[in-house]
Amino acid sequence: MQWWCSAVGVPWSWTWRPYPGVWLFVLALVLAWVWLVQRSQTTRPARRWPFFAAGVLLLWIALDWPVGALGAGYLASLHMVQFILIGMAAPPLLLLGLPFDAAPSPTPGVVRRMGRLLTHPLITLVLFNVIVIATHMPRLTDRLMPSQAGSFLIDVLWLGAGLLYWWPLLSPERRSWFRAPVQIAYLFASMVFMTAPGAMITFSDLPLYATYELAPPIAGVSALEDQRLAGIFMRLGASIVVILAISIVFLRWNRREVRDMEVEQREAAAKSGPPR
Amino acid sequence: MNPKVGFHPSLARCARSIVLCCAIALVPACREPPGVPGANDWRGTLLTEPLDKVAFTLMDTNGQPWDFGRETDGRLTFLFFGFTNCPDVCPVHMANLGAALGRLPFATRNEVRVVFVTTDPARDSPAVIRAWLDRFDRDFIGLHGDSAEVARIQNALRMATAVRGPAAADGSYTVGHAAQVLAFTADNRAHVVYPFGTRQEDWLHDIPRLLAAGW
Repeated sequence: MQWWCSAVGVPWSWTWRPYPGVWLFVLALVLAWVWLVQRSQTTRPARRWPFFAAGVLLLWIALDWPVGALGAGYLASLHMVQFILIGMAAPPLLLLGLPFDAAPSPTPGVVRRMGRLLTHPLITLVLFNVIVIATHMPRLTDRLMPSQAGSFLIDVLWLGAGLLYWWPLLSPERRSWFRAPVQIAYLFASMVFMTAPGAMITFSDLPLYATYELAPPIAGVSALEDQRLAGIFMRLGASIVVILAISIVFLRWNRREVRDMEVEQREAAAKSGPPR
Repeated sequence: MNPKVGFHPSLARCARSIVLCCAIALVPACREPPGVPGANDWRGTLLTEPLDKVAFTLMDTNGQPWDFGRETDGRLTFLFFGFTNCPDVCPVHMANLGAALGRLPFATRNEVRVVFVTTDPARDSPAVIRAWLDRFDRDFIGLHGDSAEVARIQNALRMATAVRGPAAADGSYTVGHAAQVLAFTADNRAHVVYPFGTRQEDWLHDIPRLLAAGW
């Protein structure tokens, strides 16, 4: 029995297979959340649970059978669906569902400074994109995917990179200069960076990943068609998530501006005295 | 007085470096006679002792006898033994070979023959073989013969003979067989074999070399 999905090279079967490592991983996330909620002083966690539950559910779908097993060793397109779910869609939901006030405050000093540095938007943007590009390099993918530990490492790197990427946008620790226009630029930049691996995967004339080229075939899809689908999923999936996030940031920005304008108008009206 | 014609010291160093680089670059070319690549130039496995072509005649997918020796004489021919119900090795090999050939110029493709011999004659009728091969390339040749004859051919080619596995509850079974593709060149001998794991880029690398190898 395997504890984590990896490329095993045996013909695909629709017979269910258990992956206890995935269950333990998901359980650990839920227990960590419960612990944080219990420590929380506010009533907000109760309202945040749907976000966290949705994030955990997406992770579970991406990591467990069948998506996890198919993505790990059979179809590059589902490997990309896994990336979108683990690295792009689940992290913002997990962060939205976290009761931040209950998180243990970092020790003052070096650790705090390191944390502050690591979550600097410029660093998170670079780290996220470096991890995304590195984990889609054919040589690295082909080396890691056949082993459970390697496949686990890729999944954890995606989740970690995703949490880091969304942290500056969703954590309560806001930097004064990281306002809406900069946030939009931050989100847009990631979409631009992801164009490179997406284009490489979509427009390659040959299958790039030995893992998927030599995998037992499924459903009559050729290795190159599957890879092109993966490239499209990467561009499309990432774009949908990022454009959604940009829309939310923009609408909030607009709402704030309108509110400020109304306040100014009210103040101006109050100064000029009652209407005659 | 004739001034002595010389080189600027920097230019002289530069020229020496260029000459040295050219010399180093030429060294590998001197190792092998042109047209016969060395062991490291192949993505497949170079055989220390090439295999001679075996004479056999089996039925093709049109139900006609197909003389392997005569039909492939002097042509680059890839020979593979497998079965159409194979869940992994056979479809991957055929798909990669077909996709690679599809990327080569027509003239190059036209010089290559791919011959598939079934190791499961009980289930692989000529029609089944044709339908299966057409998924990869309509020009692939499918051959059908009795198990004893196929075993004789495999033995003569120093390959492990195919073994039918035990039947499952639903009656299905698998066939254990050699996973390599033999590449017979113009001299009617196989100098290179391609094990499972050969990728499309490997075929694209080796096919033009096999055609130009001078064997």
